[in-house]
Amino acid sequence: MGKRGMNRRDFLKLTGAGSLAAAAAGGLGGGLLTPKWVWGATPSVKGPIKVGYQAVLSGTLAGYGEFHKMGAVMAVEEINAKGGIAGQKVEMEFRDSTTKPDEAIKNARYFVDSWGADFLAGIDSSAQALALAPLMPQLDRVIMFTHAATEKVTEDFVFKKGVKQIFRNCMPTYNDGHAAAFIAKDFPAVKWSTVSPKYEYGFTCWKMFQESLKGLKPSAQFIAESFAPFGTTDFRSHINTIMDAKPDGFYSTEWAGECISFVRQAKEAGLFDKVKYAMFPVGAAMDVLEGLGKDMPDNLWISARYFFQYPNSKENNDWVARFRKRWNHYPAYVSETGFSAIYAFKAAVEKAGSKDTKAVIAALEGMDLDCPAGKRHFRKEDHQAMYDVPWGQTVSDPNYPFKVMKNMKVIPAKEYFNRPPFEGPGTSPPFK
Amino acid sequence: MQSYVHVILAGLSSGMFIWLVASGLTLIFGVLGVLNFAHGSFYMLGAYCSFTVLKYLGAGYWAGLLLGPVGVCAAGFVVERFFLRHVYRLALPYQLLLTFAFVLIFDNLVKIVWGGGALSPPTLSFLGGTIPILGRNFPVYNLFIIAVGPAVALLLWALLEKTWYGRIIRASSSDREMAASLGVRVPALFTGVFVFGTWLGALGGGLAVPYVGLLTPGMGETIIIEAFIVAVIGGLGSLKGAFVGALVIGVLSAFGTRFFPAFDMFLIFILMAGVLLLRPQGLFGAAR
Repeated sequence: MGKRGMNRRDFLKLTGAGSLAAAAAGGLGGGLLTPKWVWGATPSVKGPIKVGYQAVLSGTLAGYGEFHKMGAVMAVEEINAKGGIAGQKVEMEFRDSTTKPDEAIKNARYFVDSWGADFLAGIDSSAQALALAPLMPQLDRVIMFTHAATEKVTEDFVFKKGVKQIFRNCMPTYNDGHAAAFIAKDFPAVKWSTVSPKYEYGFTCWKMFQESLKGLKPSAQFIAESFAPFGTTDFRSHINTIMDAKPDGFYSTEWAGECISFVRQAKEAGLFDKVKYAMFPVGAAMDVLEGLGKDMPDNLWISARYFFQYPNSKENNDWVARFRKRWNHYPAYVSETGFSAIYAFKAAVEKAGSKDTKAVIAALEGMDLDCPAGKRHFRKEDHQAMYDVPWGQTVSDPNYPFKVMKNMKVIPAKEYFNRPPFEGPGTSPPFK
Repeated sequence: MQSYVHVILAGLSSGMFIWLVASGLTLIFGVLGVLNFAHGSFYMLGAYCSFTVLKYLGAGYWAGLLLGPVGVCAAGFVVERFFLRHVYRLALPYQLLLTFAFVLIFDNLVKIVWGGGALSPPTLSFLGGTIPILGRNFPVYNLFIIAVGPAVALLLWALLEKTWYGRIIRASSSDREMAASLGVRVPALFTGVFVFGTWLGALGGGLAVPYVGLLTPGMGETIIIEAFIVAVIGGLGSLKGAFVGALVIGVLSAFGTRFFPAFDMFLIFILMAGVLLLRPQGLFGAAR
């Protein structure tokens, strides 16, 4: 209970800490009188600002958690070096979410109930996001999903059920499904096929892709599909299904290690020689590009929820350089979303002048935020960040030990994001 | 026709691959009576060690396949000699807990040494190509796996049935105390068998490097479940059963994926349930 209130002792501690931080930030020249000191003494933002971040750090997807962590840790380091959020230091605890829903709930409860988190962030799996969503009013902290892509969490929970604590700054399934169709409509291919994950994500994206492509190009047919369970390492039977059907277009939302295995095995079987137009909506994830290296075939169409070559802006290029200097790695998309999540909290707290959940929600709704990925706009209705990501074709480049993108195409988010009220005609692309 | 042949080939190669992992698991269970969950970890370590020899030490694939699993045997030795040995007398759940603890330890070890991200090996120069079979490319390496499976089965059969060591192993597994009183050093023998089983698992891992084309921490957990299913269907502890079980599972799931995609997982579990109901000791298991 005493957490939100304030007594004299807290106040003294706070001003003491605030002036110390300000002195450090102000350098040698009498920091006590810098404006930051005023922030430190503002009773409405009481420090430190605590962020509970969880992502998968174990099992076959462990690499994702590491990449989340690099982005988020870098943001915390940079923010604290420049005086923190509203003068208060940011503290982050990072926990392994695994991919199990009950583990995500356990972590979130620990963060809020025991550790005293002000904000929650992370989450890779859609099932985890959907398990956490109904708990958010009770936990009453803002959570920023930085990877889980299911559109249901924003459409159903935020928009329809009014769970306002949920925000998402990564691309939802719209890019994987709808945007892929906007790219595919210009190809001569008409007979499409898929090998995709045998769970919600794979089914949803394939359905979105089909619906959008049908709308954009009525001649499109969908002639073969094969869904591979989570953990599949041997895709050869699935590849046989596709090759037997003789399609001219291929689409796959296989991701992470399964995307690597799939692409290698499909290449061996000659799938990409027979099917000229192959699309991988998450094929531009750094783990896939680095994992396949030179074995990634050329001319596949790939995308991701952020790709370090886009946008070619000073802010992004600087960020990529800083990231490489700090971690000796190219940033993965979850590094960017993890990094930008912390900056979104900073912007919201400073705009609200408070870290109170209600005030922060109001500050985040409709906010425009400059990020490495470009401008993000947090849509008021469903709290989904709208921003643009590139599609492109794989190509070798002597400057990189892995394939990068050529012929980059960017479909503006507003053209393919589902629109409120998320049901009925005119709420999903193509829009007239 | 092309379609059927390729489905069968895909099924045979994945079946033989599961057999390689299940063989060590079955051998250890058959002789020591231990259900070794960490067998999947040996598979993972085998893959990582072979990959390291292959990629970072600049040696070829064969050197990796030879040296990698031998390195893992050291881990197997430590696990048996200093830990597992102390729980033989305890109930099965203790063995499961201990071996499961090693799964977690080895997963984290791999993360610390090799990082959490996925590693993908370079394409092999030898055996790395494909040959057209009825007009569709099939990887030569998978034909190699299809050949290695029966070769390992033959080796195991000859070792257990035709050699003096094999007789001692069989004698010790059927009656520990009698073998010990006849002068067999049972603890040392068990360590040896465990290390050999470890080598089989690690060999499976080494062979997986080009086959799966991907290394991740936790890669052993997927395969160990398949290997367990195979071992249960074939009869726990029966090598013949594991071999037949792996073939059946491999081919059945390939057919399921291709022709009954809605039921592919279901087919395997229904088979397992059926075997457990009608023949609880497994296809080739001796009633215990």
